[in-house]
Amino acid sequence: MTQYVIRRLLLMIPVAFLVTIIAFGLLRLAPGDPVLVYAGEERDPVSLQELRVLYGLDKPLPVQYIVWLQHAVRGDLGRSLRTRQPVSEAIIERLPATLELGLAAIALSTSIALIVGTIAAVKRNSFVDLLTSSITLAAVSLPNFFLGLILILVLGLALRMFPPGGYVPFLEDPGDNLRRLVLPAITLATASMAVNLRQVRSSLLDVFSHEYIRTARAKGLRESTVIARHAMKNALIPIVTLIGLQIGSVIEGAIITETIFFWPGVGRLLVDSITGLDYPVVQAVVLVSALSFMLSTLAVDMLYAWLDPRISYGRSRT
Amino acid sequence: MSRSVKLFAFLATAGLLIAACGDSGPSAPGAQQSAPGTAASPAPAAPAAGRPAPGGTLTFVLENDVINFDPLVSRAFVDRNVHYQIYDSLVRIDAAGKIIPWLAEKWEFSDGDKTVTLSLRKNVTYHDGTAFDAESVKWNIDRYRTAKGSARSGELASIDTVEVVDPSTVRFKLKAPFAGLLANLVDRAGMMVSRKAVEAGGEDFTRKAFRAGTGPFILTEAIKDDHMTLEKNPNWWGTDKDGNKLPYLDKITVKPITNSDVRLTNLKTGDAHVGNNIAGKDVAGVKAEGTLVYQEKPGLSFASIIPNRAPGFVFEDARYVRAVSMAIDRQEIHEKVFFGVGAIGYGPIAPPHFAFDPAFKPFPKADADGAKKLVAEVGKGALTFEFLVSSGDPQTLQLAQLIQAQLAKAEITAEIKQLQFSEILKLQDEKSFKGATLIGWSGRIDPDGNTYDHVFTDRPFNDSSYSNADVDKALDEQRATTDEAKRKAALRKAEQTMVVDDPARIWYRFGVAQLITVKALQGLEPYPDQLIRFQFAWLKK
Repeated sequence: MTQYVIRRLLLMIPVAFLVTIIAFGLLRLAPGDPVLVYAGEERDPVSLQELRVLYGLDKPLPVQYIVWLQHAVRGDLGRSLRTRQPVSEAIIERLPATLELGLAAIALSTSIALIVGTIAAVKRNSFVDLLTSSITLAAVSLPNFFLGLILILVLGLALRMFPPGGYVPFLEDPGDNLRRLVLPAITLATASMAVNLRQVRSSLLDVFSHEYIRTARAKGLRESTVIARHAMKNALIPIVTLIGLQIGSVIEGAIITETIFFWPGVGRLLVDSITGLDYPVVQAVVLVSALSFMLSTLAVDMLYAWLDPRISYGRSRT
Repeated sequence: MSRSVKLFAFLATAGLLIAACGDSGPSAPGAQQSAPGTAASPAPAAPAAGRPAPGGTLTFVLENDVINFDPLVSRAFVDRNVHYQIYDSLVRIDAAGKIIPWLAEKWEFSDGDKTVTLSLRKNVTYHDGTAFDAESVKWNIDRYRTAKGSARSGELASIDTVEVVDPSTVRFKLKAPFAGLLANLVDRAGMMVSRKAVEAGGEDFTRKAFRAGTGPFILTEAIKDDHMTLEKNPNWWGTDKDGNKLPYLDKITVKPITNSDVRLTNLKTGDAHVGNNIAGKDVAGVKAEGTLVYQEKPGLSFASIIPNRAPGFVFEDARYVRAVSMAIDRQEIHEKVFFGVGAIGYGPIAPPHFAFDPAFKPFPKADADGAKKLVAEVGKGALTFEFLVSSGDPQTLQLAQLIQAQLAKAEITAEIKQLQFSEILKLQDEKSFKGATLIGWSGRIDPDGNTYDHVFTDRPFNDSSYSNADVDKALDEQRATTDEAKRKAALRKAEQTMVVDDPARIWYRFGVAQLITVKALQGLEPYPDQLIRFQFAWLKK
């Protein structure tokens, strides 16, 4: 098991390396000159050239990449071209907002998916099942930029139930923080909630057809025990995969939602940095987001072994 | 006691007068705010009845986060919204755009306008406790002039040396007379920053310029993309006309919100109290909103179509540029795209400028036939050009399409091509775009800042590669004298040439300075530079 984890961790290095090369290459292919974008209405050529030299943008591309990589492996992700803020600081500053939004959305989508999905599976083909099927279909089809705007319009502006956007740190004002969390969390949760719900329903239905469930029922166990003890744990594996991947992609998942709701997270940092051609920031966010995805897949694989003892990563399999 | 009664009576009358001015909100025409505390200047006009009460906290919504607090490297307009609260400049402008004393109480040009002597305000200290004096001015100006990557070096290029005469007198020796210098000292190039704060901050100073200025508010907190906190500077030197200390407010929270709809929503819900930038489409709605007050004033900014006039490109022939300028319908653009907000314009010199001539209307109506004749005169067949438009901005695309339709009436074909803004900037900087682009300018206090660098041969903003000896000569003339009458004559001559006779660009409109406040917020009025003077603001209880 330990060996397996170590091997997986080591495998991440070449993948991360490839990700940085791709991110670096694609960014440099994007047309435009970051110094010109940054210059705004002060385009004194002498001053701009000084900036290029200062930021190392006058060097050939391979040299720029190697310099960046040398610093990155030592944990120094550089400074933002635009704001001169250390990139690692910029990401860490925004991480709490992204994690709060992402985890709230996942908690919301998972809990609704588990409860409603189970009911839909138990009462298969009933009115409730049909209703959830149609609602989930609608939820998956609704793009979150559209849903977000509708929520702002109705709940934020017309009914004034929740603030239309913005963020207040939890420690500063917990109530306000949670109030502002509601709309973006619903927006972000909706699509994944629908997918998770379908998954819960179908994998429960699949488990219900197994013989051990019939055995459990024949033993005279109560239906609730059958579902909770026997069916659910076995139905969880595909659901855990889905949720695990959703946790891993929390940064890129929230890009649109963060932009709409003015949520100061890593996703918005990425969007702003791409339009501003802020190379060091984009490179770092892509790297961090790739690493978090890889780590979460690893965690999901570990969870499998716990959920289903038949799955083992020990020596016997390799 | 009797004084307060009189004051109340005065303010109540002022309020009535303004209320009688019409339904467009208290725009207080003619009211001029001036340097507080200077003996000769009129007191800031309170645009509504009531008595300024100290205290209170408000939220100011900005269209973007501040990128650089350090004026040395600041290049974005949005930065100045905060700079103006935390720093004092050597001079400032009043609400009419006239230069007024600020940290410099007096200035004097001598030696054929090649020497400027400034007398500085005494007993001023930076927020960190260090003293503001002539040494400090010298250090700041030299830093702006010489630091690597300085965004200010161009604005101060005319200065040769800075001399400290005594602790409250400083002298600038110029390489050549430059009439626009004082106007440049109004903004970032004249903002005074504590040397101690800069040296302690190092590379981080520009993000953490805490307690660094002498201004009415102190920057105490800056959370990237979230908010900034400005606290009252209890030791600020300014006072209102009754001798009460300014500023009135205890605290301002500045919130950057990039989406103009969200910004407006925050104002409507009362989450925010003041903003200075809303889209034209929303102006009518804001005026109708009972909780908000909308004020506007002619701004310094202009919008233009930039043709590439370099040899080998379509617009090398001036007649083509003129044909486009004749064929577009400025009135229609003004109404359809900008909802009547702003003003129709023909050249770079804006309404608040002393050199502005309201009678200068060279293309009063769209003239498709005249444009056709000009194109025929060139004799190279129909005029077709590539029209670069920044992608991702629906309003700009709408504008470009309207222009395209207007030009079609004169049988001129504009082929719209959408590119990333950064890519257009690059093509423009290389002067390699084929036809024309659409780019605006936020405007400068002195007309020199709206003209010289944009049309003078080989200057940095001369994106149309324009070169006209007469224009160059006239623009040099107006730089060399501080006599406004002479300057105006030279600038009028240059504008006639660059707009009509040998057009450098197609100018079509001027912007506005907007101010949107909640009803309870008093004391503010728009300035031509669009920046808010929060020292005058107070909240009605």
